[in-house]
Amino acid sequence: MALKELSSLEKALGFKKPNKYSTQGSSKTPVLQSNSGPPLCGLLTIATHLVREAQRPELLGVSAEQRAVVQQWLEYRATRLDGCPKEEVRSVLKDLNQHLEDKVYLAGDAFTLADMLMYYGIHHLMVGLSIQEKETYVNISRWFDHVQHYPGIRQHLPLVVVLRNRLYPSGQH
Amino acid sequence: MKLYLSEGNPQCMKVLAAVELTGAKCDIHHAHPEERIVPTLSRPVLPVLQPSVGVHLFMPNAICRYLFELSGQEASSQTDQWLEWEATELQPALMQALHLSVLQAKRTEAAEALEGPLRFLEQSLSKKPTAFLTAETATVADIVLWGALYPILSDASFLPGDSQHVAAWFERVTALPACQAAAGSILNEKGGKAALRGFVQRQPVPHTQRRDAQPCS
Repeated sequence: MALKELSSLEKALGFKKPNKYSTQGSSKTPVLQSNSGPPLCGLLTIATHLVREAQRPELLGVSAEQRAVVQQWLEYRATRLDGCPKEEVRSVLKDLNQHLEDKVYLAGDAFTLADMLMYYGIHHLMVGLSIQEKETYVNISRWFDHVQHYPGIRQHLPLVVVLRNRLYPSGQH
Repeated sequence: MKLYLSEGNPQCMKVLAAVELTGAKCDIHHAHPEERIVPTLSRPVLPVLQPSVGVHLFMPNAICRYLFELSGQEASSQTDQWLEWEATELQPALMQALHLSVLQAKRTEAAEALEGPLRFLEQSLSKKPTAFLTAETATVADIVLWGALYPILSDASFLPGDSQHVAAWFERVTALPACQAAAGSILNEKGGKAALRGFVQRQPVPHTQRRDAQPCS
């Protein structure tokens, strides 16, 4: 799972030659053996490293505050979304939906690494949502649609249909 | 900047130690654990840092990382890696250990829950030439791991005998005045023990058991 995601991220960042990864432990933590220095371990650590390598620092945030917001949603993805028990999924979606109410992307107006990893991490949940549920989480649906249409991001992942117009008047469900 | 903390919460202790060590200027507010500070979250969460109006940081490691960056110490891949390990490998084991030791007084089982992560930390530290995790001085990685482990390791008899590197590192970090101050105000005050108990009770019962955190480097 994490390896596929890192490979998608490499493509999105325009890497010509894919890196080789291994995994360790039952949680299948990805490990990147780099030419310079010790190996790097963990999805967020490697993803952040790849963005630096690709010289796209703006994807990590352009100010200290924005960088903190990006890191926050990366941490949220790894600790709250990944391995989230079924009964907790709604609460995660509700929080994300609220957060996105007045924002285009997770860190505001700018597209960042947080959107990329959240998109890869939440895709399987979005696939499983009914039309009514997509309407309940209307801000996530809007954000998700932006990200899946962002150049180079979606790749092999199936497109999730998000309705632009409400089918049901709000407040009825 | 406004910082909201509550007693007995190890995550708040981390952040307070980071504030003390970096000298960040924050107005510190003591909040009730059930108080909702972040309006977009359905459940109360602490610590919360408000770097500017309308912006809420509520993931503890991201807050610590930000405070260090403000003081001119930017995160490296090495510190990133420790922060991620702490959040994804150590915390689940730790929550299980806290449940067992604080609520059920099952010390042996608590020690077992932490065995894998502590062995990993011991092996990593034994290969490091530096006094702290990534450098000769304490970085955000040391503060984050120390804050997580403090409620368990402040009882020195908890560590297995073959963990001398962890013991020495933990002692070095605990001795920092910033950490002394943070532990003093969040956990060691009168009522801190009861507050820690309350904190553990409010956490969901840990549902996964991860014991095989293995060395990386």
